[in-house]
Amino acid sequence: MLKEWFSSPLFGIVLCIAAFAVGVYIQKLLKTPLANPLAIAIALVIAVLNVFNISFEDFNQGGQIITMLLAPATAVLALSVYNQLDVLKKNFLPTVAGCLVGSVTAIVSIVLMCRAFGLDDTLTASLLPKSVTNPIAVVISEQHGGLTSITVAAVIITGVFGTIFAPLLTRLFRIGNSVATGVAIGTSSHVGGTTAAIQMGEVEGAMSSIAIGVAGLITTLIALFL
Amino acid sequence: MKVLWQIGVIFGICFISEGIAMLIPIPFPSSVIGMILLFLLLLSKRIESRQLIDSSNFLMRNMSFMFIPAGVGIVQVYDKIKGHLFQLIVICIVSTILTFAATAYTVKGAIWLRERIRSRKEGVC
Repeated sequence: MLKEWFSSPLFGIVLCIAAFAVGVYIQKLLKTPLANPLAIAIALVIAVLNVFNISFEDFNQGGQIITMLLAPATAVLALSVYNQLDVLKKNFLPTVAGCLVGSVTAIVSIVLMCRAFGLDDTLTASLLPKSVTNPIAVVISEQHGGLTSITVAAVIITGVFGTIFAPLLTRLFRIGNSVATGVAIGTSSHVGGTTAAIQMGEVEGAMSSIAIGVAGLITTLIALFL
Repeated sequence: MKVLWQIGVIFGICFISEGIAMLIPIPFPSSVIGMILLFLLLLSKRIESRQLIDSSNFLMRNMSFMFIPAGVGIVQVYDKIKGHLFQLIVICIVSTILTFAATAYTVKGAIWLRERIRSRKEGVC
């Protein structure tokens, strides 16, 4: 009976919401980007499934309903680009050039390092799109034979790193230009870095959100030719 | 009713995108087609961004929540990454730093170039 109960789609959904609520609460308590709510929620769900001996398939009855929402969440990225249209028009060519060079750098550096470390094709494909926002990264990874859960983990690591180190990198590389800083943060560390960019200034935040969409689109196009 | 209508529009765009993705011969992700489609609808003023504000805010603010199931899936592939954990983290961090620097300097270079061309044109006139 218990197994039947846990295989209800509602179980997975309620468990995810509860775990995420705990993650958000812990982050508020500790006030550090290291306490990433998503990472905490994933760890909690895995722990609950293990302790109560619930299979991933049962959990995923509800899980796949949540995953389905990713497509609409990607589509509405168009809104954040559209809402910043004036800033984008003013800086169109530098933004596109930056996103293009950045996306190529990300892909080339990942492939080279994967080769250097002797990782197999599946892992390389899983890491390949890790600089772009999660919903786009997952699809690119899948199309190239990667494993989406590894991609999600890599995207989280990148995002958390971006949130913490974006201000430091800006000083370290002496960027000194709000547009360049914003585009660089959005292209290299998607939504995670953008939360830091928004705190740095209005232009940085706007350019960073635009770069998420533009770099996502460019990376998708590049991935077609791989 | 308003929110329901908004969700209907966004889901409808995504559904149409899935159809387009099946029709075109290249493997282009349907979620990105949805993004382009919605952007074009906004540009052509068929949809105003404030008409979708409630549901799009909901979707964007809770985006990271939607990755929990995919992330939990890591237990199924854990054997595959067990021996490579350190390399994975190094690759993520190093490539992020390289991407950041390459993007920032390209944007700076492009802005510098634009200003130069602009001042030259003014010099000629």
